[in-house]
Amino acid sequence: MSIPTAKLKKPTLKVTPSSRAMNISTSGILRLNRSATYARSINASVSRKSFCLAADSKILEKSSVQTPKHTIQVLDENGKDVTPRPVYQPDPAAVQSKHSKIFASDTSGGTMSDFYSTTYQTTTNASFAGAFTRSLFGSGSVSIGSQSIMESMSEEIEDPSSKRDNSISLSDVQVKREEVKELIQEEMLDDMVDLYLVESDTLCLLDMPAISVSVDSMEAESVKERNSRYTELCKNRTGNDKYMGRSMQTFNGASKTKEVQSEAITMADAATIANNWDMYDSFCSAGQGEVDLSTDTDKASIAEMIHQNHGPTRTMERTMSVISSSTIVSSSSSRMEMEPFVVPSESKPDPELILQSEEFQQHLFVMERIILENIYQPKLAAYRQLPTLEDPDSMPKAVPMVVSRREESSLDEEGPPTPALERLWSFSCELTTGRNVSSMAWNKRNPDLLAVGYGQFAFKDQKPGLVCCWSLKNPSWPERIFTCQSGVTALDFSASSASMLAVGMHDGTIATYNVQSREKTPVIDSSDCVHKHTSPVWQVRWINHERALSGEDKGEALISVSADGRISKWFLRKGLDCIDLMKLKRTRNDRFKRQVGEKERKSEALISRQAPGLCFDFHPTDSNIYLAGTEEGHIHKCSCSYNEQFLETYQAHKGPLYRITWSPFCSDVFLSCSSDWTIQLWRQDLFTPVLGFMSTQRAVYDVMWSPKWATVFGAVNEGRMEIWDLGASILDPTIVNPASPGVKLTSLLFATETDCVLVGDSDGQVSVYQLKNFTAGEGTQVGTLEDIIGSTLASQL
Amino acid sequence: MCAEVEETLKRIQTHKGVIGTIVVNAEGIPIRTTLDNSTTVQYAGLLHQLTMKARSTVRDIDPQNDLTFLRIRSKKHEIMVAPDKEYMLIVIQNPSE
Repeated sequence: MSIPTAKLKKPTLKVTPSSRAMNISTSGILRLNRSATYARSINASVSRKSFCLAADSKILEKSSVQTPKHTIQVLDENGKDVTPRPVYQPDPAAVQSKHSKIFASDTSGGTMSDFYSTTYQTTTNASFAGAFTRSLFGSGSVSIGSQSIMESMSEEIEDPSSKRDNSISLSDVQVKREEVKELIQEEMLDDMVDLYLVESDTLCLLDMPAISVSVDSMEAESVKERNSRYTELCKNRTGNDKYMGRSMQTFNGASKTKEVQSEAITMADAATIANNWDMYDSFCSAGQGEVDLSTDTDKASIAEMIHQNHGPTRTMERTMSVISSSTIVSSSSSRMEMEPFVVPSESKPDPELILQSEEFQQHLFVMERIILENIYQPKLAAYRQLPTLEDPDSMPKAVPMVVSRREESSLDEEGPPTPALERLWSFSCELTTGRNVSSMAWNKRNPDLLAVGYGQFAFKDQKPGLVCCWSLKNPSWPERIFTCQSGVTALDFSASSASMLAVGMHDGTIATYNVQSREKTPVIDSSDCVHKHTSPVWQVRWINHERALSGEDKGEALISVSADGRISKWFLRKGLDCIDLMKLKRTRNDRFKRQVGEKERKSEALISRQAPGLCFDFHPTDSNIYLAGTEEGHIHKCSCSYNEQFLETYQAHKGPLYRITWSPFCSDVFLSCSSDWTIQLWRQDLFTPVLGFMSTQRAVYDVMWSPKWATVFGAVNEGRMEIWDLGASILDPTIVNPASPGVKLTSLLFATETDCVLVGDSDGQVSVYQLKNFTAGEGTQVGTLEDIIGSTLASQL
Repeated sequence: MCAEVEETLKRIQTHKGVIGTIVVNAEGIPIRTTLDNSTTVQYAGLLHQLTMKARSTVRDIDPQNDLTFLRIRSKKHEIMVAPDKEYMLIVIQNPSE
């Protein structure tokens, strides 16, 4: 363009083209300058331009500091001034001898573009921006492509001195510009200068239009059409005469190397090992729909590891984390978790909260059991009839073991080992010491769970009763403790709902507890019932009635017998209520009645017409028939269908009957024990006992058939515990275990699956004994029992 | 509920052969301990690493599995660790006493 060259000659206006060119060069953006307002706008913003330029470009500043008219003079040998004068006066502002400044002033160009945005159009040309950074030195309007200028520029590029001249001229211009600037400043020092920041047009530095077009776009159709036409064309082209292949040569653009300098790129190493579970965890949590999981995962896992590396007391060397902490997310996590997707920034859990949490309780519970297992392992193994393992590290114990083995071997030499009881352990804790064990019952579903009731028998020592549910896995502390207002005298677990425990108490109350819950209160209580028992309940039992009586509900019912002479059946109907199955009437001795007659009635003062019932037992197969034992020593056979009369009465005992129990194997045979020191074996159809057993002159408190052999039963009297094996001897017990002095044994229970017997005593201990070297023979020995009975009967006749 | 926890802890400590009981939180700071501080910190630190390794092993084999309890039987005692996310319960017992 001629305009810039013309303007170059005017010093004042030199600013304008130079500035314009500088604008062009600095931004690398070529602006077509054709507007008429160009001069005006430039003049107006000269000061600002120069200001910007001065600020950005170091060279410009330097040059401004330099002497204003710094001319370089080249003198040859002769001293002639051969300073080459530039052919073309470049735009001084365009001088950028340092390439880097181009970039710097690119930004300035950006600022200047603000001012020019309204006046100039921006044209972008990708090729120009790259290739003409040098050629823009002093270039006018390269976009217009005046070749003369370009040639001159190219010449000047090779000429280093031209650069200097450029710089000189720039400095000249710069000075002038500075002068101009200063003038203005002196005048208007206190003026408020408004700086307008206006959003410039979008500078497109690179536009590479896409070759592919989206199917949804509007041009898609036309593009598709073009494509199809082109493919057709190609197809037609091959054999067509219209088209001929010709080779062409094109110019290859001259390539140029360009160096660029940038700040060092900081790099950080990050590494992780993905474990199997790590991937599984991330996958699981991703499946749960967490947002930004993938990014969080990496950040979080790395963050976790960072924290773990910096953990206060940890000197963990984690093979997984080789991380530099510089660029990674720093989390304030304090949890040493392995879940990588958690980046918790919460406060650490309060120690008190930890101690009260459910998991902690559970862990404590498990831990206690494990500790006890360590302690009781041999005993429990013996209970479960597993071989006991010797601790290989306990050397000192080896000596006594050897001694005992020798003892055993000496016994062996004498004869077959005598059956004996070995005490395994005892269930007791400080809560139960001093209390009398009144009843024990196994849970019907879980054979490791034992319920023990504590309560005094006698009237005078009454104190609040206790029911403890013990587990075999913890012999030192019961799993459940229920305190009752009066002594507990009877217990039974239900068979249908295995967590229901029925408790009968000394004041006549019957309560049911749910042992699964942690509540200390009974589920239901009979204290509000109108027909409740008024005397101690001596036995409770859950009985499964197969046949419904008078249309009532089938299923399990709770039956109780108490000292007020009633056998009641309890059910839930708006609260616990009972109906009487039987009232135990006093039956006088028939013999006396016959002899004495009416006089008997006058002299005998009856306190009540009822005889206190002490025990009962339902027939194992026929749930309609049951036996009840009274304080008078009578056994009444009753039926649920008749609640007025007894079916039979068996009279033999002279004292209160403490226990009646049917044999689990022979359905006709039952045992009874009483305080008259005897145990009687009965057969259902005979009114006199078949066999009687007496070993000591002590009241027999409890008797129970062995669940394994029909000929074996155990009995407990005040001073000792006896195991009778009728197949071995009908006169003496086979095993006798005396009680500790001062302690009375009060109840007996056989363990169902193992050869163990539990004995409760008046000191609150339930001792577990194992029957050693004891067997009654193969099978259940039902035949043996019947033989014995038969032979006894035969011998009596 | 807290009383039950206290009771159980006390019972555990008084069982036969139990040498010490330690409860540490997730950072390794002891919450409850019956041993001296240096021993406690040592146990906590070492057992934490071992627990992490054990848990990693268990989960590597089957990611759906998780470690519930860890017992180390040595010549002199048995160390039992119940690990959890927020805490760790450690009991040292001499079972042959």
